[in-house]
Amino acid sequence: MAHQRKIIHIDMDAFFASVEQRDKSEFRGKPLIVGGKPNARGVVAACSYEARKFGIHSAMPCSQAYRLCPSAIFVPPRFNVYREVSEQIRAVFWRYASEVEPLSLDEAYLDVSYTQDFNGSATYIAKAIKNDILSETQLVASAGVSYNKFLAKIASDMDKPDGLYVIKPDQALAFIEGLSIGKFHGIGPATESKMNKLGIHTGADLRAWNEQDLVKYFGKSGHHFFHISHGIDERAVQSTRKRKSVGKETTFQQDIQSILALRDHANSLSEQVWETLQSQKLTAKTLTLKVKYANFTQVTRSITHDSALDLMTIKSLLPRLLNRTEAGGIAVRLIGVSVSGFDTKPAKKAKQQLALGLGNVF
Amino acid sequence: MQFTVSQESIVRPLQLVCSIVERRATLPILSTILLRTHGQQLTMTSTDMELEMIATLPVAVEQEGKATVSARKFLDICRALPANATISFQAQDNKALVRAGKSRFSLSTLPSEDFPDSEGAHYTDEISLPQSALKSLLDETSFAMASQDVRYYLNGLLLEREDNILRAVATDGHRLALGSLSTTNTVDKKNSIIVPRKAILELGRLLNDSSDNVTIAFSQQQIKVELPDLHFTSKLIDGQFPNYQRVLPLGGDKEVIAERDKLKEALSRAAILSNDKHRSVRINLDTNLFKATVINQEQESAEEELVVEYSGAALEIAFNNAYLLDLLNAIPDEKVKMIFSDDNSSVLITPQDDKLERQYVVMPMRL
Repeated sequence: MAHQRKIIHIDMDAFFASVEQRDKSEFRGKPLIVGGKPNARGVVAACSYEARKFGIHSAMPCSQAYRLCPSAIFVPPRFNVYREVSEQIRAVFWRYASEVEPLSLDEAYLDVSYTQDFNGSATYIAKAIKNDILSETQLVASAGVSYNKFLAKIASDMDKPDGLYVIKPDQALAFIEGLSIGKFHGIGPATESKMNKLGIHTGADLRAWNEQDLVKYFGKSGHHFFHISHGIDERAVQSTRKRKSVGKETTFQQDIQSILALRDHANSLSEQVWETLQSQKLTAKTLTLKVKYANFTQVTRSITHDSALDLMTIKSLLPRLLNRTEAGGIAVRLIGVSVSGFDTKPAKKAKQQLALGLGNVF
Repeated sequence: MQFTVSQESIVRPLQLVCSIVERRATLPILSTILLRTHGQQLTMTSTDMELEMIATLPVAVEQEGKATVSARKFLDICRALPANATISFQAQDNKALVRAGKSRFSLSTLPSEDFPDSEGAHYTDEISLPQSALKSLLDETSFAMASQDVRYYLNGLLLEREDNILRAVATDGHRLALGSLSTTNTVDKKNSIIVPRKAILELGRLLNDSSDNVTIAFSQQQIKVELPDLHFTSKLIDGQFPNYQRVLPLGGDKEVIAERDKLKEALSRAAILSNDKHRSVRINLDTNLFKATVINQEQESAEEELVVEYSGAALEIAFNNAYLLDLLNAIPDEKVKMIFSDDNSSVLITPQDDKLERQYVVMPMRL
């Protein structure tokens, strides 16, 4: 058998809301909603477990959340704080995993196949990660452990909050059989209802289909559905899916006509981009300017420099890119600056103690 | 119960008995030892529910009976008294009175009926051998035991009986140590037990290098070790030890003979600079040359060259240096034989003249 991978999916429990409850004792034990104002058009970005009891969930319009629980506390998100915490938890991940693939601020896949701690027991590693996160951030995470990303992600959702759920290779097929189709990652409500119409309600139903038929009904995704129904998901945890570009953009409160004002905005965006580049120790060669006009049509203009860009160069190139658009003539709604074409050095392979062939431990 | 005893004669056995008492016992009774007098003897018993140790010593018994006292307090008191002191111990109601000269201590006791009884066992195999032989066998192998491994059956030492051989095997999954000795009796059927790590370490402390006999006996659930004045039992690890034969490498074609002392010294010096988690050392083999290189994260380096007997192909391979040093420490012989095959396969190390009675296997590191 090929090498058995060990994948952990970590998902912070009610992340934004938990951070707010951690930092402000008066929010603890109360229904808390992070997101827009109750009377505005925003949506719920996160809500505390107390709020979930009222049927509130993330992505729900705030007005609806307010109707469900008028006594809920509404707070605006503090992304800077969440990002800081996110850095902290990622530092924990890197302590144990050889590959870390963040999906968002509060969620990541970890490949611990080569981790030696706890003699390679992914379950114990997951426990240690949860403990480290708790002691370093006072926040609770749920972990899913399995041999591929698909199952690890489902596992992390199994006994939230503060969950640790393991799907061992020999349990996988039985587990998938009993799983309702909507729980599959990548099967949204639309696909779910389409499947239901075809009589597919559980993993077992899905597995009964052959690959060609699934592809016929669901296109390319059919291949994926076929494989996951058999517990197969070869997608690697890719921390090397390093960012291909760094960009910042801003949508104006009111459309802007003045080319000078746009240049100022572009300059300040380029400063933010530069800061990110520096903090990530990246060097880029290509500069791209994105302009969205008031009528929502969008253009990008880019230029590739023959050596690594610095802030001075970026600022000197931006007016040239801006001149290649219709900005100044047509009002502009959004402007964005990004850089790409990073210098990629081959990653250094870590030393690794090889194991005697005593048999694998999961 | 009442007895008197000299400080000198009680401290040593008391220390041994107290050594297995957990510092943070789960049940109060487990932090005590049971004292019993009968005839002109005192027996002291301690247990952690896995191990049980019973020491016997002659005392002047004034009144037979039994009592439990805090192991730590009683030991500390006895130890702190002068060597020539005569200690008098008297237990009454729920107090124990310890007196010596002008010192008086009143200790609380727990009901002695609450002290866990040891389970009887049906011992099927009994071996009598010199203490020094058993001690060597443990010293040669026990360092490779795993500790707190999720593969619980590795957190101990495999003792295997086959014909007139007693074999000990330990592995932590990265390296393996095997030792054996022959016994006077023979078993009909091959069988094996796994003795927990704590019992093995404790046993290593109890045994000395004398030729005095020690008796060990096996049952399905227990191992019993009898020393003069000391009786030691341990529960066994209930599990299946991996088939170690499978990882003993065969067919390595690169055979190196090295002087053990020189090799050990060279690797110890190189180890000074290794500071990473893996303590890696790179080994380069060439005709009659063994080169060890350590490069640390600060890019400092150590290089050691050693003349060895070697006529095979050149090889570069890396190991955890600590694993190599551990096994070299366990080999007292003058020369060692190392058989390599390639940089991804384990090395087999034995004393040069050994007929495979002692074998050490270490997996390399990938650099």
